[in-house]
Amino acid sequence: MEKKVLSEQSLYYGDVAMPKGWDIDRDKLSQDILSYSFTNKEFPFSKTWDMLNTYIKDHVGVEHNINLVNKNSWGNMYKPGQLSKPILDVDPVDLRNSPDFTMLYGVNVNNCWIKIYYEDNRRKGRSWDMELVNNKFIIFPSTNMYVISNEQKDSLNFVQTITYEYI
Amino acid sequence: MAHFAKLGVNSKVIQVLTLDNKDMLNADGVEDESVGQQYLQLHNNWPAEMWIQTSYNTDKNQHNLGGTPLRGNYAGIGYIWDESNQIFWRPKPYPSWVKNTSDASWHSPIGDPPSLTSEQESENNAATHKWEYVWDEDAYQADNTTGWSLTNQLS
Repeated sequence: MEKKVLSEQSLYYGDVAMPKGWDIDRDKLSQDILSYSFTNKEFPFSKTWDMLNTYIKDHVGVEHNINLVNKNSWGNMYKPGQLSKPILDVDPVDLRNSPDFTMLYGVNVNNCWIKIYYEDNRRKGRSWDMELVNNKFIIFPSTNMYVISNEQKDSLNFVQTITYEYI
Repeated sequence: MAHFAKLGVNSKVIQVLTLDNKDMLNADGVEDESVGQQYLQLHNNWPAEMWIQTSYNTDKNQHNLGGTPLRGNYAGIGYIWDESNQIFWRPKPYPSWVKNTSDASWHSPIGDPPSLTSEQESENNAATHKWEYVWDEDAYQADNTTGWSLTNQLS
């Protein structure tokens, strides 16, 4: 008996393990997310953002043989106790121009949870929860809907999102 | 054109970039790896000491054009940088294989495969068969005096 996998939904997650002295400047990203949240401008390009983005692309490439190309990027901040509305990063009527993968990075977070919804054949509406901690990332297919919750009452949570397509 | 391997924190090669030779000239106009490393640090936001020059024409400690080999092998993504031996190692092909620094290659623990017989060679030449010795790690783990298995790749 043989088996053929036609499709799979894989999540990739881990720490952004930068060389010593080259850590991601998460305060800079927090400031960029803050200013981005109050303007209609595109998310600002910065050396810090580029270091994060390059790290993700390099390491997903070398560890999982997936070549990622940037689609879009933005940042969000979540108030204490806030639960985001369900987020879907693909446009169902424009899949051609939609991303393949969504990457979430914990910029400055505390008790921040990601719930990713998926379908397992006829079993719909299943979900997988993961805590997003500082300097940790998670990548998952952009076709999966997700919500982000800030489950504490004291501070804002800052989350960086970058979407990719693979070639 | 010069080539530099970008190392991850575990010494694994995560990227290989080309660099214009003029970007690695020192004050005397001589190519200098450290100048290239500084250039790459500045333009790629990755520390200079984690960029290691590699030679496109070096393979198994030989230079394809008859020059001096550099660091064992041309680095590829997933290779491991060995600082002490100054060699880029290919990923280990089998758990039991061992490094040979003289040819910068992995070798089986029981040596090279036996030679093909003249009959097998002639069948290969006639393209009726494609006899090859392939490594059988399970067989080696069961009996560490065996490991090479003669296989007809056309069957």
